[in-house]
Amino acid sequence: MVILVNYDADDNLSVVEASEICLKCGVCCVVKGHSCHAQLDGQFDPKHTYVYDCLGMDSPSENPNIWLCVSCHKCEELCPYDVSPIRFIESMKAEAFENGRAHPVIFGEVANIVSTGFAFPLTTSSRRQRQQLGLEPLDESAAEDLMKIAEITGLSEKIAQYRGEER
Amino acid sequence: MRYSFFKGCFLPVRLPHIEKVSVNVLGELGVELKETQGFSCCPEPVGFLSTDRLTGMAIAARNISLAEEEGLDILTLCNGCTYSLRHVNHTLKADEEAREKVNEVLSATDHQFRGTVDVKHFASVLMDDIGLHHITGKVEKPLEGLTVAGHTGCHIVSPPEIMAFDDPFDPQVLDKMVSVLGSEPADFDLKTLCCGWTLTNYGDKSGSDKLLGAKLEAMHRAGSDCISVICPQCFYQFDMGQLLASRRLGLEFSVPVLFYLQLLGLAMGYSLEDIGLKRHRTKSSGFEEKILEVLG
Repeated sequence: MVILVNYDADDNLSVVEASEICLKCGVCCVVKGHSCHAQLDGQFDPKHTYVYDCLGMDSPSENPNIWLCVSCHKCEELCPYDVSPIRFIESMKAEAFENGRAHPVIFGEVANIVSTGFAFPLTTSSRRQRQQLGLEPLDESAAEDLMKIAEITGLSEKIAQYRGEER
Repeated sequence: MRYSFFKGCFLPVRLPHIEKVSVNVLGELGVELKETQGFSCCPEPVGFLSTDRLTGMAIAARNISLAEEEGLDILTLCNGCTYSLRHVNHTLKADEEAREKVNEVLSATDHQFRGTVDVKHFASVLMDDIGLHHITGKVEKPLEGLTVAGHTGCHIVSPPEIMAFDDPFDPQVLDKMVSVLGSEPADFDLKTLCCGWTLTNYGDKSGSDKLLGAKLEAMHRAGSDCISVICPQCFYQFDMGQLLASRRLGLEFSVPVLFYLQLLGLAMGYSLEDIGLKRHRTKSSGFEEKILEVLG
């Protein structure tokens, strides 16, 4: 049975403690056809699995491999000890994002969503294709509300900081 | 059957031909799709919802509230959108403290989450609301002789307590949907393995190629004429991703992919042009000849 734990970036302790009972059995990564897809990334093997790589580092939120997790929940469903690696990895992603260490693709996507309402850049080609197919133009009216939301949660400030550091 | 139509962003921006055929096919099945104004990205579950949870939940709650204001359940065409919206809907319905916090954020937008609607993937609507028997009645050209590898994808099945769609380790629903069209579901290895979309974006390309190559080999070995998916990202990975990976891997075969509603459209009498096949990147002359033969 899956136990859902609500957490945010300020409440990592319970998630970290849960990860400490991992026995490194490898079930989450080596059950052929059913386990974690990130295990196929090439840098992992049955002795040093993807999940153990994420759980076993001293500063896990600085591990670039956390961004390979697709949140598919397979590790959580396979783990015989209810470790729930996904909760740990997502928590580390949140911590990394909070501290300005998000993967650049993730940062770009988040900034794009807040400013346009879409995760992907809106291109002339997309607009032309929609017109050719007789589809309604893209609805871009959400951006104003999303920017208000991002102001209140502090995301706008983080985006401005990231952009300043990038420059 | 009337739903608030949540298109997401991948489909309308990158695969508009699939949006078009989906609207047409669902319309013929009696599904009325209301164009709700103001929807944004769900937000995307892997990059946004898991990294800035409060903002992500507020954006999803805002989307849900727009459907609530129209008194309609949401219909989606994407596994990722369904995952984000169902997770947030589930959490905010159950957790009063989280709901108050999110509504406080939403107060600047004149919208509030109330928890009055459901979020449904189109495949759930086909199975539960329309019913396979009704779909069988709409099949004018049974796809007999066509073997189809059904790739269900990850985010529509897990965790089952929230997604309530299919068994994550033994998915059967898409195979049933393939069978009612007269086609044969392929029995292939690595069926539940992810399509590898994130590895392609954030990881080592060789790992992503290895994953995709292994999955395509398994589908090919099982005699699949094509792949069928119910998620736009999975579609893109098996279409554009396959084109790029097969060049690097030197694959000597290709397995074209169709969004399930394109396959259903063919069985309902649509032509290859109607479903927009010419816009697909992974081609197979063998597949096109076979499907034309099947369609008569």
